[in-house]
Amino acid sequence: MERRDFLKTLFATTGGIIIGPSILAACGGTTTSSSTGLIIGTPDSPVTLPLVGEPIADGLTNEGGTIEILNWADYTNPEVIADFEKAFGVTVKQSIYDNEDAAIAKLRNGTLKPDLIIGMTDTAIARLMAAELIQPLNHSYIPNKTNLLTGLQNPYYDQGAQYTMAQFIYGNGIGYRKDRIDPSELAAQGYDAMWNSAYNGKLAVIDSYRDTISLALLQAGVTDVNSGDADILAAAKENLIRLRDATSPKVDIISYQELPAGNRDIAYMWSGDILLAPFYLPEGTTADVLGFWYPDTTITANDFFCIPMTSAKPVVAHQMINYLLDNDVAVKNQSYVGYQPALTSVTAESLINSGVIPESLVDAVVDDTKYQAGKRITSLTPETDALWNDVWTTFTAG
Amino acid sequence: MNKAARIWAALAAPGAFWLLFFFAVPFYAVACVAFGSVDPIFRDAIPQWNPLNWSFGEFNAVFSSVTSGPLRGVFARTIVYVISAMIICFAIGFPVAYYLARHAGKRRMLLLLLIIAPFWVNYLMRMLAWVNLLSPSGLFSRFVGIFGVQYNWLDGSPITVILGLVYGYIPFLILPLYATLERLDWRLVEAARDLGATSRQAFRVVTVPMAKAGVAAAAILIALPMFGDYYTNDLLSRSPKTEMLGNQIDFYINNSSQPQRGAVLVIMLSTLLLVALSWYLRSTSRIGKERVR
Amino acid sequence: MTSISTRRIKALPIIIWGYIAWSLVPVLIAVAYSFNDGRSRTVWKGFSFRWWFGDKYASVFHDDSMRQAIVNSLVLATTTMLIVTPLGLALAIGSHRLRGKSATAVQGMTSIPLITPEIVVGAALLLTFTRLFSGIPLGFPAQLLGNVTFSISAVVVIVRARLVSIGSSFEEAARDLGATRLQALRYVLMPMLWPSIVASFVVVFATVIDDFVITSFLSAGVESETVPLRIYSSVKGGATPALNALATLLVATTFTALTIGVFGLSFWRKRHGETGGFKSALADLTRMGE
Repeated sequence: MERRDFLKTLFATTGGIIIGPSILAACGGTTTSSSTGLIIGTPDSPVTLPLVGEPIADGLTNEGGTIEILNWADYTNPEVIADFEKAFGVTVKQSIYDNEDAAIAKLRNGTLKPDLIIGMTDTAIARLMAAELIQPLNHSYIPNKTNLLTGLQNPYYDQGAQYTMAQFIYGNGIGYRKDRIDPSELAAQGYDAMWNSAYNGKLAVIDSYRDTISLALLQAGVTDVNSGDADILAAAKENLIRLRDATSPKVDIISYQELPAGNRDIAYMWSGDILLAPFYLPEGTTADVLGFWYPDTTITANDFFCIPMTSAKPVVAHQMINYLLDNDVAVKNQSYVGYQPALTSVTAESLINSGVIPESLVDAVVDDTKYQAGKRITSLTPETDALWNDVWTTFTAG
Repeated sequence: MNKAARIWAALAAPGAFWLLFFFAVPFYAVACVAFGSVDPIFRDAIPQWNPLNWSFGEFNAVFSSVTSGPLRGVFARTIVYVISAMIICFAIGFPVAYYLARHAGKRRMLLLLLIIAPFWVNYLMRMLAWVNLLSPSGLFSRFVGIFGVQYNWLDGSPITVILGLVYGYIPFLILPLYATLERLDWRLVEAARDLGATSRQAFRVVTVPMAKAGVAAAAILIALPMFGDYYTNDLLSRSPKTEMLGNQIDFYINNSSQPQRGAVLVIMLSTLLLVALSWYLRSTSRIGKERVR
Repeated sequence: MTSISTRRIKALPIIIWGYIAWSLVPVLIAVAYSFNDGRSRTVWKGFSFRWWFGDKYASVFHDDSMRQAIVNSLVLATTTMLIVTPLGLALAIGSHRLRGKSATAVQGMTSIPLITPEIVVGAALLLTFTRLFSGIPLGFPAQLLGNVTFSISAVVVIVRARLVSIGSSFEEAARDLGATRLQALRYVLMPMLWPSIVASFVVVFATVIDDFVITSFLSAGVESETVPLRIYSSVKGGATPALNALATLLVATTFTALTIGVFGLSFWRKRHGETGGFKSALADLTRMGE
């Protein structure tokens, strides 16, 4: 069967959204295109991804040597890595990315050639698949898969977890300094706080176009955080420009360091980042100064492990995924990373009781219920994505 | 070709071909990316190697953004920042170079060493030093706090960015300025004074015309890298409110899935600088003639 | 009028010392803070070598990624220096002697890199290596080619200045005495070019070890991270004084190379009876003669 036919069949059977080159051409798509289309699953219409390539065989021995992982900064506990190196007789090297889009571009053009990718999310999966960048997993190496929350053993973006294995869950909210902003005052303002010129120069948003544009949508009461409506996005653009003019925000992903350091007072953040913040408090300051406002309507997400098609160490990569999903290892990992493992054994009580999370940040803990209640940002069709990018580049160009 | 010429050509060939392959060809590659097409799914650039098939859609889109869209602010801001930084650089650098060339006396060698030193202190180290000093708990912020100045220097302040550029590039201005001023024939200035010119007149009528070409060259030497600077801004501000052209190029080339836009901006920057460049070449050729004279 | 200008000249030493303080004190403070006992880069907690080697994990000499960055920087700077100096030397001699259109073309091509912003070269090379010469992987190979490309012109400028000051009379004398052109080049000109070769070594080494833009555009993850890249990525946020220590090491390396160069050159000049000594050596290294 030709790939295109296969995709068409898939389209019919899974109800996912497939944008193939032929459809694009019909829409007046301008130029040559890749050989594949985008397969986008949503919570309402989950997709089973087509099988490209073969998973590795069962029972292979570990390749040894050096495994290169592509990871966010401060996203795996160095002690956990050291334990893994010792237990499996390998050396782990990390390359850091701070932007999903750029990382995909670098994976495609060969700048980055990792053996394992940590921390990609739903918004990346369609493109990772379309570019044939990742290989199917062999679940026999990952018995700890059963530790995952049930829903995430079979996620909507990759039914059967054929290519991906969930790691952390988190939700978006506003981190702030309780010693500078009164908690009740902040709660009264809600999302509007991000537009409050009283915080001019002391405020930050996330350097991720999907998250920060969604902030502008949610503040305006729009809950479709994957909207392709040009008018809605134009309004979001105006809203972001208002935010920029009122508060001169920083646009980065280091609020987890800058908030505890006292260099900013308020920031739109991933919940995992505020849980990491206490480790960056200066000596003599307690975690009581940190607060997190978790909105009723917000974005929740999970990230996942995946193994590149070109991985030179697929067996070690599988072993590392399994290792990081071990209940005890995951907790040790969280004690450094802040982000919450998507495991059934990890609950808010267990985290606070074990002292991993200070009580002042209990609102930042995302349990399965909160996770289920949140909005998901999913992959976008190229046309919609272009609209979103246009909003973002206008915002960042100042 | 005679034998001698063949020897010289053979000597020059490896270096010349190197520059051809790794300097000239890359400029062609930038054009091929800028005027190529875009992958509809990944928005990645697909280079068009045949100039006959170049398409200017993306170029026009960026150009209209420069004339009437979000990039207009970026271009205007870049030009304002660079010009402000240049003016401050000259206000500080000229007296320093002038004193060093004319009045330093027996301390000259010591002063010269101290002034050369920052030239060789890593640029990022010098920025690191200021990031530390300017952060809210930093020495400088605490020091000015004593006088009641409460200013968050690193929160996207244009002042910090401009002063950062001054601090970063001034060593690269002072040395060529000093070299120019030291080479001048100061006897002409003395002659002008002897003939009754005031010091100000002598400066205006004799010093300025003599030094003009060298000063212009020095100015161009720091203006060019400033136009492409992104790291100063990134380290001292990183706010959309101070976004410069270099930041946009860095963003599109390194941190986005749309390198084509970055390629277009590189071409625009190069074109902008080409104008400055021709001025530079004219002034250096003039210096050359003066030296021969 | 005289009194005004005298007063103005009296104000100049204040400006110059003010400038020196302004340009160097912040750097010295940053160096001092590398010896901070606390975790902070801004709040002094007492003197210690904790961030140099005391801390078993996070000090410069124990942190693997920092050590790797130091090694990467040294390897890149040394390799570039060794490749670019002969290349630039030959190009300078050849283009200095060539006449006609090809000479103009070569001279034009060598002067353009001097005035092209690094970001333009970096972006152009990145697009070239990822889309045209894709056989050249990003990381060390691309960084090496990029830095060689960007440094050739500096070597040409240094060597050409020396060629101009030597003139052609020595070679002509050798030719009159029966030497071939190549012999004259090898036995008469080359020995006299030594100062410019040493100056090229030092200048290229110091420039490349400090280089940020090209090295950054052409890097491929942590494997090819150099010290300036490391400083750039950690300045913001909560990096410890180990970062100051790392930056201090970088500056110390550059200055060591320069000091060796300056003393080596002034020693050479003295031995060969050339005037200028220390100051000319300094001028060679700062390209003030440009």
